[in-house]
Parts: sequence; structure tokens; C-alpha cells
Amino acid sequence: MTAQIELKNVEKYYGAYHALKNIDLSIAKGQFVALVGPSGCGKSTLLRSLAGLETITSGAIHIAGERVNDLPPRKRDVAMVFQSYALYPHMNVMDNLTYSMRLKRKPRAEIEAAAKEVAETIGLSHLLDRFPRELSGGQRQRVAMGRAIIRNPKAFLFDEPLSNLDASLRVHMRKEVRALHNRLGATSVYVTHDQIEAMTMADHVVVMRDGIIEQQGAPLDLYAHPANQFVAGFIGSPAMNFVDARISESGEAARLNLPGEPLIPLNGSYPPGRSVIVGLRPEHLSVVGPDAGLALKVSMVESVGSASYISCSATPELSFVVEGTTRLRSGDSVHLAIDPDHVHVFDAKTRLAIGVVN
Amino acid sequence: MSIAWTNRMLLLVALGLAALYLFPLYWMYVTSLKTGSEIFATPPGMFPASPQWSNFVYVWETRNMGRFLWNSTIIASGTMALTAILGTGCAYVLARYRNGWIDLALFLVLMLQVLPASLMITPIFVGFSQIGLLNYPQLAVILAVTAKAMPFFVVLVRATFMSVPGELEEAALVDGNSRIGAFWFIVLPLARNGILVSAILIFMQAFGEFVYSKSMIQASELQPASVGLNTFMGPNTTEWGNIMAYATIYVTPILAAFVLLQRRIVSGLTSGALK
Ligand SMILES: Nc1ncnc2c1ncn2[C@@H]1O[C@H](COP(=O)(O)OP(=O)(O)OP(=O)(O)O)[C@@H](O)[C@H]1O
Ligand SMILES: [Mg+2]
Repeated sequence: MTAQIELKNVEKYYGAYHALKNIDLSIAKGQFVALVGPSGCGKSTLLRSLAGLETITSGAIHIAGERVNDLPPRKRDVAMVFQSYALYPHMNVMDNLTYSMRLKRKPRAEIEAAAKEVAETIGLSHLLDRFPRELSGGQRQRVAMGRAIIRNPKAFLFDEPLSNLDASLRVHMRKEVRALHNRLGATSVYVTHDQIEAMTMADHVVVMRDGIIEQQGAPLDLYAHPANQFVAGFIGSPAMNFVDARISESGEAARLNLPGEPLIPLNGSYPPGRSVIVGLRPEHLSVVGPDAGLALKVSMVESVGSASYISCSATPELSFVVEGTTRLRSGDSVHLAIDPDHVHVFDAKTRLAIGVVN
Repeated sequence: MSIAWTNRMLLLVALGLAALYLFPLYWMYVTSLKTGSEIFATPPGMFPASPQWSNFVYVWETRNMGRFLWNSTIIASGTMALTAILGTGCAYVLARYRNGWIDLALFLVLMLQVLPASLMITPIFVGFSQIGLLNYPQLAVILAVTAKAMPFFVVLVRATFMSVPGELEEAALVDGNSRIGAFWFIVLPLARNGILVSAILIFMQAFGEFVYSKSMIQASELQPASVGLNTFMGPNTTEWGNIMAYATIYVTPILAAFVLLQRRIVSGLTSGALK
């Protein structure tokens, strides 16, 4: 597999502000890569650097084998879909779609055929004469996608393209964008701050924070083996619980820093006596009978029908999920069992995941 | 006091102020139609008894007004064209880049706006005469008025450019356009209204320009109508009817244009703010 997009040691400064720090990323042809991270972590900066809208301070960017560091956007042959869609307000849908082809002075017949095909793909054939201001948000979004598709570029770059849509349309468009990607055999880089979007759409997820890549990998790998506490807390919904703890003398259990100092079993052996943070996903805690597990008090129950999210009063707060509805009410006591296979252990200082010492 | 009542009071005050402000204009029109004795009658009449339409024909012919108005038009058009060509690029740069130098440049531009023409004329006159520009007096006036009008134009057009989202330009760059192409085919069409309106305002301002023309243009066949009007008004003038007829011919086209275009002018000036 050859890399369609390759970034090596990419650094970007805005004046004294270090926006991208030593970014290494390799994206194979046909891959759908999601960049996720909290606001201000440099996702857009990275995407804009790929498009050529920002110049990087050092490092190298290769697209389809060609070094593009010094190429202007128009010579990079990538298409970008902006969060605001950036449709040209003084052109109708037809002209918006075909703008790139007209710039290349393609023959008229070819342009019209391409526009027709793309309009059908995105389901806007009946709106070609409208102006952007006469379209709904979802339709504008489609035009923006169409404008990218028509170019058949080396890569698609998306900057939070769905964030202006309402929730149900967003879920629908997620599938559509992904299906489109598969159909076109495209290479896509998709920026989002919504980890569910990243997990559901992408083959490869890149988690960023403060200009660095915290971890990258297949979505379920990130879920199952987060490399550090940040990724563990960022991936997965509802978010992972974190409890301070100390590894027991045997190295095969952790003593939680909760009232009564409960001991939970670990799978494997860890450095004895080490201060750690234990990560427990809400979906991996299960309610058991009164003689076992962690004894806690319920503080809040939120039910959405298919599942119930239950918070327990502890410092820090612990939450867990049960399927369907629940009879638990605020104030009830509950006992939770922990599956040792699903306990994540992080060093208290470095916040990095600690591997099992065999 | 109810709100409706307050509104009515405010409307009344507004109308009163407008009447006060527009009264000289009214007086110009009325006087231009009066006979000599009517003008000096006490108390003055608010309406001409027998309108003297012949004043206009007389003034147009004896004062060679066609020539003067033509000169005004040349100076105003030249100023407008030069301002638009030079100022648009400048406003674009000031709108798109943000740093300390840009702030300084903007400050200097606004500073120029503060200096009055009557103060600037002496250094300009000396400078122009040294480089021989005064041999082309209309060109000299165009250059001087352009310099004077530029800050106003730049500030207005800059606001227009700021209302065009930068992402549109970036989309055009990614779509395969060059920097200049994106400016020319995406940004400029979207800023067109604001630029047009600002240019028209500059034209109107230059059409009435007096200080620079009076000082730099000696030959009467090159002078604009503002200077012609001033020469008409000697110290012992009694021909007020004719002078007012001159003034009427001079300002009515501008007023008419303004009234006709006022909707577009107002919307062009506020398009950025309202979105
Ligand atoms: N032109 C600029 N000049 C200076 N700093 C900038 C500039 N553009 C972005 N930054 C800074 O770089 C950092 C990363 O910005 P970026 O837009 O890439 O964030 P992001 O991850 O896309 O965030 P969001 O999810 O909010 O869009 C931010 O701290 C931002 O303030
Ligand atoms: Mg962003």
C-alpha cells in the first residue's frame, strides 16, 4: 500500500505560537481518516496545511508521492469542504459545482455531463438554477460536497462539514458521506470534534491535543487500548471514569482511593506500590448482588429508553450504563462489579497507559 | 407620556431640524426665480410672484456654464477613476491582513482625512509647481482631490471587503484559482455594490470641490463650476437671482442623482453591517 498523503515532522508556528508539533502521519490510498480533538488543538490548521492555505514552518508534506510544501493550493489537486460551505453567493448551484472545471477551461459538453452526474449523485438535479441563499442548510451542504466530488481530486479534505446540520440530518449525512467515499474510492481526511462521528466513519482515527498527535489507529483499537488518559477520556461515550488508586503488593490488584479503599482485581501483574489512575468505562461496570463489588449510592438516573445512564456519588463521580430502563432511583445503594479484562491503568504522573508486566 | 406621543414629538423635532437644514436650498430655488425687486423686498416673499424662468437661459449663455460644468465633470470623473483604481487594492490589503503595520497604515490613512484642504493647499501648491505639474492644472487638481478623497474611500471599501468571508476566497484557491483570480472573480463581484456606491460619493464630493481648483487653475476656460460661481459673486454683486440660477443648475443634477440612488447608497453603505 502506497501512502496517498504523507506528513513528516511537520511543524507550524503562528508567530511564537506553536500550533503543530512534530506531526507524522501516513494516509493510504482509499483510507478515510478522521482528525479529532478538542477545540483549538490544531485540526483545522493541519487540514489547511494539507490544502496549501497555510504554509508549514518545517517538515514535509507529500501528496501522491509529490512533495507539495511549496505548491499553491491550486497545484495540489485536493478538494476541501468548509464548515461554512463557502458556496459562491453570486453563482447558482450549477456554476458553483462547475467552477473548478470552468477554471480549467474544460469543454462545455464535458462540464455539463459532469455536473449532471454529480447533481444526481448528491440528489440536487432539480435545484441547479437556485442560488445558495435559496437553499436549506442541508442542501447547501450537499452542493459543497458536490463541488468537491466533481473534481475527482487526489484527496478530499473535510473541515467539520456536518456541524451546522441538525442532529438527525447529521446522522444521515454521516452514512452518506462514508458511502460516497467508498463509491468514489477516494482518500479522505475528515476533521471533527465529535468522537462518535470519527469512530463511526473512519478507518483510522487521529486524536490530537495542543498541536500533537496523542494517538492514532483503528477506531476500536483506540477504544480498547488508549495510550494515555486523554485518549481514554476522549474516545467513548459516555466518558470513561477515572479513579486514583495504588497497585497492591502482589501487583495483581488495585486499591481504589474511595471510601473503604476497595480492592479490585487486575488482569496481569503491575509494578507493586505504584500510584496509578484506574480507568473504568461506564459500559463495563455491571450491577451485582449486595455482597459483592463496589458499594455506591446513586445520585442521578438519566434514561433514554434504550439505555439508562446512572451516576453514583463518589469523588470523583462514577457512572455506569445499563440496558433499557432501570428501577434504580436517586438515593438507592448499588453494588458494581468490575470486569478485570476491561480495567485501564495509567501512571499517575505521566498519564500514560501502563502495560502489563509479565 | 405614552410611547406614541414621544414618537410624535421626536418626529416633529426631526421635521423641524430637516426644515432648518434644507431652508437654504429652498431659498436658492426660490431666489433663482424671483425678479430683482422681489429679492430685496421687505418682508421677503416665500414664493416668487412671477417665476423668472429666463434667468436660467440667461445665466447658461452669458456665464458659459456648459464649459464650467464640463470641466467639473472631467475633474470629478478623473478623481473617481483614480480613487477607485488605487483605493480598491489598498482597501483589500487593509481588510485581509491583520498586524501592527496594517494598524499603523490605517491610522495614517485616517489621519489624512483629518487635515483640511485649506491647510494642505500651500505645500501641495509649492510641491506641484516645483515638479511642473501646474502646467496641467486639471490633472494637478485631480491628483490633489484624489489624495484628499482617498481615506474616505479606503475606509468605506475596506468595510465592504471585510464583509466578504475569507473562506470564499480560500475555496476558490482550492478550486484551482490563483490569488489574483480569486480576488478578481470572487471577491470583487461580491464587493461591487460597496465599491460603486463609494465611487459615486467620491464623484459627488469632487464635483463640488473648490479650494484646490481655485488655487491651482488660473485659466478660466479650465475652471470647474464651483470656481465659476465664485467669480460670479464679486464684492458688489446685486444679481442674486442670476447667481442662484447658476447655483441651481450646478447642484440640481447632483441632488437628483442622490435622490434617485439613495436607496442603493444606503444599502451599499450598510450591507456589511447588516449582512
Ligand atoms: N491565523 C492564526 N494566527 C494565530 N493563531 C492561529 C491562527 N489560526 C489558528 N491559530 C491558533 O492555532 C490553534 C489551532 O487552531 P485550529 O483552528 O487549527 O483549531 P481546531 O482544532 O480546528 O479547533 P476547532 O475545533 O475550534 O475548529 C488555536 O489555538 C488558534 O488560536
Ligand atoms: Mg477548526
